[in-house]
Amino acid sequence: MSTTKTLLSGVAVLAITGQMAAAADSSDPIVIPVHNWSSQIVMSHIFGNMLESVGDNVEYVSTDSQAVYEAIRLGDATVELEVWEGAFAASFDAAREKGGIHDAGDHDAVTREDWWYPAWTKESCPGLPDWKALNECSAIFATPETGEQGRFLGGPVDWLKHDQERVDGMDLDFVVVNAGSASALWAEVAAAERTKTPIVLFNWTPNFAEAVWPGEFVEFPAWEERCDTDPSVGLNPDVTYDCGNPADGYLKKAAWDGMKDKWPQAYCILQNVSFTNPQIAEMAKLVDIDEMEPEDAAAAWMEENEESWKPAVEACPA
Amino acid sequence: MSAPEPVISCKSVWKLFGPNADHYFSTLKGAPSFQSIREAGYIAAVRDVTLDIPRGEMLVIMGLSGSGKSTLVRCLSRLIDITGGEVHVDGQDIGALKEKELIELRRNKMGMVFQSFGLLPHRTVLDNIAFPLEMRGQDRHTRRARAMEVIELVGLSGREDYFPRELSGGQQQRVGIARSLAIEPDIWFLDEPFSALDPLIRREMQDEFLRLQRLLGKTIVFITHDFDEALRLADRIAIMKDGAVEQCDRPDRIVMNPATKYVAKFTHEIDKARVVRASALMQPVNGAALTGDAVGSQQTIHDLARLIINDPREAFPVAGDDGALLGMLPRQEAIDVLLGGHA
Amino acid sequence: MSIAITDTPPVGGGLTRIRMAQILLIVALGLIVAKTVLPAGLIRPPEWLVWPFADWINAAFRFMRDDLGLIHVTRAIADGIEWLLDVTANLLYGKSRWPNIGPIPWTVIASSAAIIGYALNGWRLALLSGGTFCWIAIMGQWTWSMETLSVIVVAAPFSILMGLLMGIAAWRSALFEKLLNPVLNIAQSMPHFAYMIPVVVFIGVGPKAGAVVTIIFSVPPMIRMTLLGLKKVSDEVIESGKMSGATQLQLLWSVRIPTARTDILVGVNQVIMQCLAMVVLASFIGMPGLGQKLLQLLQALKVGRSVEIGITIVLLAVMLDRCSKAWAMRQPQHHDKGTPWFVRHRLALIWAVLTLVLLGLAQVVPLFDQISRRQALSLAGPLDAVVDWFIVVVDPVTTWLRWFLIVWVLIPLRDAFLFAPFSAVLMLIAAAGWAIGGLRSAAICVAFFGFIAMSGWWDRAMITVYTVTVSVAIATVIGFPLGIWASRNQARAQRMLLVCDTFQTFPSFIYLIPVVMLFGVNDVAVVGAVVLFAAVPLIRYTIEGLRGVPHEMVEAAEMSGATYGQTMWKVRLPLALPTIMVGVNQSVMFSLFMVIIAAFIGTQDLGQEMQRALSSSDVGKGLVLGTAVAFMGLLVDHLVQTWGARRRALLGL
Repeated sequence: MSTTKTLLSGVAVLAITGQMAAAADSSDPIVIPVHNWSSQIVMSHIFGNMLESVGDNVEYVSTDSQAVYEAIRLGDATVELEVWEGAFAASFDAAREKGGIHDAGDHDAVTREDWWYPAWTKESCPGLPDWKALNECSAIFATPETGEQGRFLGGPVDWLKHDQERVDGMDLDFVVVNAGSASALWAEVAAAERTKTPIVLFNWTPNFAEAVWPGEFVEFPAWEERCDTDPSVGLNPDVTYDCGNPADGYLKKAAWDGMKDKWPQAYCILQNVSFTNPQIAEMAKLVDIDEMEPEDAAAAWMEENEESWKPAVEACPA
Repeated sequence: MSAPEPVISCKSVWKLFGPNADHYFSTLKGAPSFQSIREAGYIAAVRDVTLDIPRGEMLVIMGLSGSGKSTLVRCLSRLIDITGGEVHVDGQDIGALKEKELIELRRNKMGMVFQSFGLLPHRTVLDNIAFPLEMRGQDRHTRRARAMEVIELVGLSGREDYFPRELSGGQQQRVGIARSLAIEPDIWFLDEPFSALDPLIRREMQDEFLRLQRLLGKTIVFITHDFDEALRLADRIAIMKDGAVEQCDRPDRIVMNPATKYVAKFTHEIDKARVVRASALMQPVNGAALTGDAVGSQQTIHDLARLIINDPREAFPVAGDDGALLGMLPRQEAIDVLLGGHA
Repeated sequence: MSIAITDTPPVGGGLTRIRMAQILLIVALGLIVAKTVLPAGLIRPPEWLVWPFADWINAAFRFMRDDLGLIHVTRAIADGIEWLLDVTANLLYGKSRWPNIGPIPWTVIASSAAIIGYALNGWRLALLSGGTFCWIAIMGQWTWSMETLSVIVVAAPFSILMGLLMGIAAWRSALFEKLLNPVLNIAQSMPHFAYMIPVVVFIGVGPKAGAVVTIIFSVPPMIRMTLLGLKKVSDEVIESGKMSGATQLQLLWSVRIPTARTDILVGVNQVIMQCLAMVVLASFIGMPGLGQKLLQLLQALKVGRSVEIGITIVLLAVMLDRCSKAWAMRQPQHHDKGTPWFVRHRLALIWAVLTLVLLGLAQVVPLFDQISRRQALSLAGPLDAVVDWFIVVVDPVTTWLRWFLIVWVLIPLRDAFLFAPFSAVLMLIAAAGWAIGGLRSAAICVAFFGFIAMSGWWDRAMITVYTVTVSVAIATVIGFPLGIWASRNQARAQRMLLVCDTFQTFPSFIYLIPVVMLFGVNDVAVVGAVVLFAAVPLIRYTIEGLRGVPHEMVEAAEMSGATYGQTMWKVRLPLALPTIMVGVNQSVMFSLFMVIIAAFIGTQDLGQEMQRALSSSDVGKGLVLGTAVAFMGLLVDHLVQTWGARRRALLGL
């Protein structure tokens, strides 16, 4: 509590000095959308605190993580701190095509989304993480609804992960069952953990789940350029998606087109902001494991890691 | 008693219910029966009613449910618009009044009491009674003062802050009566005011009503389905059936000379002696020799029963209120009425 | 005065109706049997029959938004709402906006709530309303709850005012009522997500969008209750107003509306309940507070913490429900003459003193001002432990149940629903319509389902129908006996109704997690979640139907020497059946709402597409899907209402 207070008073002092310097930034609030996973919320608050430290007004608004790009495009929200290649590229690109939103640079962090299993699964299927082991032990992944075949628990269909194409292309003895939300995925893992049932499902990093359930990604043949468009690329010469997902997907920042002119200083900070995988995992851990509130977690993280964010602010004089 | 210029006068008033009733009415010729109108898909709630109500009279409209009596009284106050004929109030054709004039008429000349009281549940007794005054735009103080007067008049002093829910049925109707009197109306409509009350309370309210009427002397149209009540209160009774007035006359005349079979059915069960007054059986003296004390013309035969049975005279002189000789009452006829032997 | 013409349909008419239904049924069965030889156009809607409704709607919306500039109007309205939201946000949780005096200390709000509760209905309600706020503060949910309430205290009055005005307009103009009725019917049976999409387009995201969607969702019952109340005002009261010389306007404001007070206040109660029902869903488009927090917690699989929030939402709902009902039922009471003013205004005085004291205390003792998360209690540990323990204990049962239901019940049924040619389904529906309400009903039913065929979502719609059918069937098997059991005596009935209330207001998203833990991502979990929700109205209406049977009839049966069972089967159930059918109808409605939410477990039905439409802000698709779901509900509604009306007429109820 007291750390928050000192930090906030520090922010207040900065805010006053910043106000004079940053005369160029509009006093209208910069609207930062927050979604329903912790790292994004904490990162958004960290970014918000950084902006407040130079005197900008900031407001947080909770939105759907897909609908947010439409909102940014229309100027209802200003920035998005976590644009995952795998999950949001489609919505982001669609909005970009309509205009009003643009790419504001990458984080250092890379994202990976692929088939994944929790540690206990390996006991019943020691051949993992090699993908060939999947077919050997497909029976242990079988469920009533998939009959003899193994079940792969995919993410929501609208995440467009092409799991079915991969099952067909690589001749996996699996049926894809799509969960309707991330919560449903976690609920399955949690239930499986209690009975140590083997399970293979869609997962991604950075993500709080790594801290709760240790596990590994399945190692498919490495992603090659055009694996998703050119059948000849990859394992099977006749089909697409016959390879793993990229192991280093982008994590971008997105901004409303009007931001650059309205809040030039804030826009400059946005371009400089960059976080790494361990940093993002730490942010998630503060909330998901240490049970802090996102606001407190942001303040705590900023206090601990001043060297990671101060330069980004200082590089942008008013 | 009757004034030359009637307060309310209706001339062949019609009220039909049904789709596009006005048009249908314009196609009617002659005097169609209730049945023939019904077959055409319409209900004749009021059928060709012509009535004059002189100032100060209490006219009781009597009929069974569905006979059109409630509709008729709503035609007189123009709560519903009539299909044909004319209604004049104080010489004004109320059908021709504009909305504003009609509201003025109601605000100044008419009061009405309803069967289920029609009180506003969210207002206190005082505010209910002051409601018509409030509609008129009178200031709070005047309203309150006048309302308190009427509250006293109907015997509800001390209850002015109660809400209708907190009162008994009889008390609620007193509020209804007080409200209708608040603007000091000339014309007072009462639509079955006591029907919803217990028999004992009803009797008490009738007495109360007669007291008020003696005090105020309004022109009254009183609706009831209870023939006894009608007999008790009325100057004249109009008996309705199927929307039409079967007979309109003084109570004792109706009892003695029912105009139709329908009316006779009502009068049949009635103890005529309690209704028939000496004046109704009175015959011209025509030089007959009359002796002894006179009986009052307004006394009922029941009042005179002991005299009629014990006094051997063949006929009794009948005198008016002022003592003047009006006629004679033949003993035999009076005994017939007492024993219910005739008519 | 109205024309009372009572004619019973001729016996012959009843016969031909059944015969016609039988013929249609045979045709339908024939189509199913002959599926292999049917032309493709009779098996699935042919291409020419599938109309691009979604494109048309999108074009219309684009036209309204961009060409007509409607977006400026809606944005202006939204700005107005936002200003109000900022005021309440400042007062309740100290958002830095005008008037910059908040946040009000929690003790002041809790004590005010307790005093309002006492004023409305005595000690028990005082305890409930004060206690609810104490729970919120102690559990460290104060800020989130105030965020939620700051939206509700703006949205609810807006809904009430709009509902009142529209109700009056509908009452004055028969034409407006005629136009409004189908709109309200569809609006009330459309899944929430469907109209969130246009709101995102026209209003944007954030608290103002949450407020607007809450308003849209909660207005219909207010309109209906206002209309009902105004229509119910007795003729005599209106005539007495007219005879008092009231003008039209005076009649409306001084006579009709005050007299319709109770019904209008029931409408207010409905508005408040609907607002709370939207707390979680509206957070999908940016409503802050409890709902948003709940979704975040579920995303991190914190079941215990989210149950805490669920309890708060239930407590708030129960409290607001009881308070507004008490307000609706409260009758004015007079004070005796000569009561001094401090006795008349005793509660107001106590409130003022208490507030001043607490405001002072809050300055000195921070605990009276705010309780921070760290000082707060939490039940999450034990709750999670209980859930874990339960899941492990029942695992053998659920594993078997999952296998049995999937293999022997759900998959075969689902295949059957998908196997049926669409022409046969339409025939079946026509047969049902004809059997219940003759040609008119058959035409209405076919029109409803015809739209679904034309929407191009036939297979998904059939999966939705399959899920709802199975769920309602299971809910009936569970709910009906429970209802009969609970209706045996008053105390039991009341306890059961309380359980129903709780289940109904408990945020449905929380069920999804344990259900997935128990059954995994599959149809069993979906059906399980829907059944939990669908059984509630069945239990409720079974209880109400059975307890509503006139005493004389039960007594007459008992005096005829009937046993409890005989009375139940021969007298009470037949008489309660129309009410129970209303429960079935409601159950279908609830299932349709829940099946859309169950898309978060993982389904392949309309709900999944609805989720996609929401994330891609596709208005046209969302509305088409929403209308398809609404029409399913309206179809059942029509059949049950028609049947019920005939049945009631027959029973002379």
